[in-house]
Amino acid sequence: MSFIKEYAIALPHFRISDKVLSPKGRKGQHAICYTDEDIITLAFQACEKIESDIDAILFATTSPIFKDRYHSSYLADLLGLKEGILAMDLGTTNRAGTDAVVLADRLLKSGSNENILIVAADVHYPSIGNETRSAFGHGAVAIVLSGKEGITKITKAKTYSSAMSEEFIYKGEKIQYDSRFARTRGFKNNLAFVLKSEELNSKSINKIYLNSLYAKIGFGQLKKAGFDLESQLGIDDVGKIAGHTGAAHGLMTLINSIEKNKDTSVLLDYHNGINLIEVESIELEKSSFNTKTTEINYYQDYLTLRKQGKFTARGYKSIEMFSSEMISERDKEMLLNLKGNKCKSCGTIYYMKALRCNSCKSDQFLQVQLSKNGTVYSITNEYYFPNSFAPTNMVVIDLDGGGRITVQQTDDMYPSESNLINIGDKVNLVFRKMMENDKKPNYFWKCIKK
Amino acid sequence: MHKKMSKKRDIAIIGMGVTKFGELFHQSYDDLVRESVLQATKDAGISLDEIQAGWLSTAFPEIGVFKGRSGMDLLEPLNLYGIPVTRVSNFCASGADAVRNAANALAAGECDVAMALGVEKLRDRSPQDSIVKMMVELSHPYYQKGFTAAGTFAIYAKRIMHEFGLTREDIANISVKNHYHGSLNDKAHHRMICSTEQVLRSPMVADPLTVMDSCPTTDGAACVIMVRAEDVDKTKHNPVYIDGIGLSVSTGWDLPFFDPKHDFLSFQATKDAAAMAYKQAGITKPIDEIDVIEVHDCFSIVELLTYEDLGLCKQGEAKDMIRGKATQLGGEIPVNVSGGLLSCGHPVGATGVRMVVEIATQLRGNSGDRQVKGATKGISHNIGGPGAIASVIVLNKEH
Repeated sequence: MSFIKEYAIALPHFRISDKVLSPKGRKGQHAICYTDEDIITLAFQACEKIESDIDAILFATTSPIFKDRYHSSYLADLLGLKEGILAMDLGTTNRAGTDAVVLADRLLKSGSNENILIVAADVHYPSIGNETRSAFGHGAVAIVLSGKEGITKITKAKTYSSAMSEEFIYKGEKIQYDSRFARTRGFKNNLAFVLKSEELNSKSINKIYLNSLYAKIGFGQLKKAGFDLESQLGIDDVGKIAGHTGAAHGLMTLINSIEKNKDTSVLLDYHNGINLIEVESIELEKSSFNTKTTEINYYQDYLTLRKQGKFTARGYKSIEMFSSEMISERDKEMLLNLKGNKCKSCGTIYYMKALRCNSCKSDQFLQVQLSKNGTVYSITNEYYFPNSFAPTNMVVIDLDGGGRITVQQTDDMYPSESNLINIGDKVNLVFRKMMENDKKPNYFWKCIKK
Repeated sequence: MHKKMSKKRDIAIIGMGVTKFGELFHQSYDDLVRESVLQATKDAGISLDEIQAGWLSTAFPEIGVFKGRSGMDLLEPLNLYGIPVTRVSNFCASGADAVRNAANALAAGECDVAMALGVEKLRDRSPQDSIVKMMVELSHPYYQKGFTAAGTFAIYAKRIMHEFGLTREDIANISVKNHYHGSLNDKAHHRMICSTEQVLRSPMVADPLTVMDSCPTTDGAACVIMVRAEDVDKTKHNPVYIDGIGLSVSTGWDLPFFDPKHDFLSFQATKDAAAMAYKQAGITKPIDEIDVIEVHDCFSIVELLTYEDLGLCKQGEAKDMIRGKATQLGGEIPVNVSGGLLSCGHPVGATGVRMVVEIATQLRGNSGDRQVKGATKGISHNIGGPGAIASVIVLNKEH
């Protein structure tokens, strides 16, 4: 038996609607990364809220930013998890997120692990001009599965593989079979096989969710199996507000399901085979998906946002930021884990390490965890620092509980009352990429107005 | 703490040279060295070969033309080999530090005739390739990422406005004053009179500082030739004496932005350097004893802060000095009558030396339209890094 012990969702602040992407666009909208977000920052944002003592991490994505490097190991390091922890990446198809659940469920049942952190994150952009034909959306989800306890019981976690994939990438090209052939031989057959094998019963199951780009053509099969589509078919609420978040989407659907329903629900996560996750939930009465958002007004702004890694400020095309693996590794605890130094003699807390205390000259310090909340001491708006959305606002922050840090403001593409920062305002630190045009990602803290 | 620094060095400046400051596209680094040194030797009435040691101040060879990385680059254009030359690098206080080192060597008896030369050739590259590039591309990958030089001072301006009721107009009026002074200086980079409105309406650089609150990126060189006071030949020389030199590194590059005790209301470095220089010069009430001052107005807010840090007024009262026009030519204590960095421009390594030359010229009474009448004592002040390093030099017409 395994349980969902805790979970968290991370969606970018910005949304773009199909209407902005094309005049012929329909009603959809997509969660979209700011210039300094990627799968790692989104995954980190989700994992920040996790409190359990983790002994394994599985990372699922179909849009890896690294090759020959495990995102799971990298993230474990960023999160300060135990050294030598079980860390593995899963990928290739959109059901990678629920693949991780199936795998974790078995690891927990075997007794080899106690709390497994599953993280799924995807950042996909459709080709330019095809945005409204794509259900893309950016986001990440973190779920802790436990073998002992949790808010939701996982009663089944199975995989039914299928050789058929309706569309896939081969040698960098998108391959699509004849759609009727592929969907009949693939999705429909696979779904029928699962329903029959599992004897899924409309009486014992409260809600059933189908996560597939072809969900509609499976409705007939569900009907045949006795489900009342009107009352029993789960709606893709996440897709409506964020778009299809790739490998994270199955898990987001699962979370949406346990937040909205009680008793038994089933998720059928299809892509090149079906993962079946059955859960027994209690009433949670919360929603992790209603976050504060800002709409992107212009297609041009969206184009600028998707130039992740290159900025468009005037005159600065050739400038690359200096980044150093050595510095990042050496000062990891301070730079990434926000560890500060407290003077043993006078109690002053410093973010940066100094040999002697600036106040009392003592050379004895204790390592302390700094807060991610603080108050603005001073601020300036830099109009000449390269930034696609100048100015770059630099904020000096006195952290709650001690320590001072100076960081950039982020998510401030559109200056407004809600992100205008003044001296004395409360702000939060968020984990982002340092600059847009770096050769390798260089993660650090930035701030947003509380 | 200033005990060791309290000894007065008995030194006289006997020769001075300054090139035109500006976008000197027609002149190379070497041309600037030659022009300023030859002016200085002529002024001192000596030949090149009489110079026995040199200190070269170039702050940023790597973002300029790779010249000035060592003392060698002073001697090569002069073909003056066989003497010791040291390159001095201390951010914007580099030029003043070259003067300090030359004075120390004279006092120690290492040489009898010493030269301090400041030279910076920034305009052989586009501005984005120079100072901005340093902050974007070359600095620490995490700390202060997002600042340009303007921003590190704008952070002070914002806090001071918040604490002391300083207004945008007060800050802009520093620029208005210095541009007026600069219009009287034929060696200044920008020679134009401007209004408060023009400063406020020029493009924003780092809130609240606009383009006209910021000094330009400039080429230029300045040179002084110094001897021990006892070696001054009154029949040949028109000397100006150094009464005090203080230099202090009082904060770091990054730490101020991460130190909860740093209040962003003053520059400790200026206070420390002034304390040293005043002690050597026996100055107790600068506002009454000093006639003319050059301060490091790289951004207009810095001049305002420096009034307080040099002890001309109490903390929070600098705004009254600019509002009362006390620091304008003809006022109680004229500041930056050269036009300051805002008008002259800021070839970083040359600036400190230029300011010494400016004060010395004032004390000689040779400053023409911008002469402060009857000036006998003056100060030149530099601050570098984000307020980390400051130098204060007190000059006296009398020995």
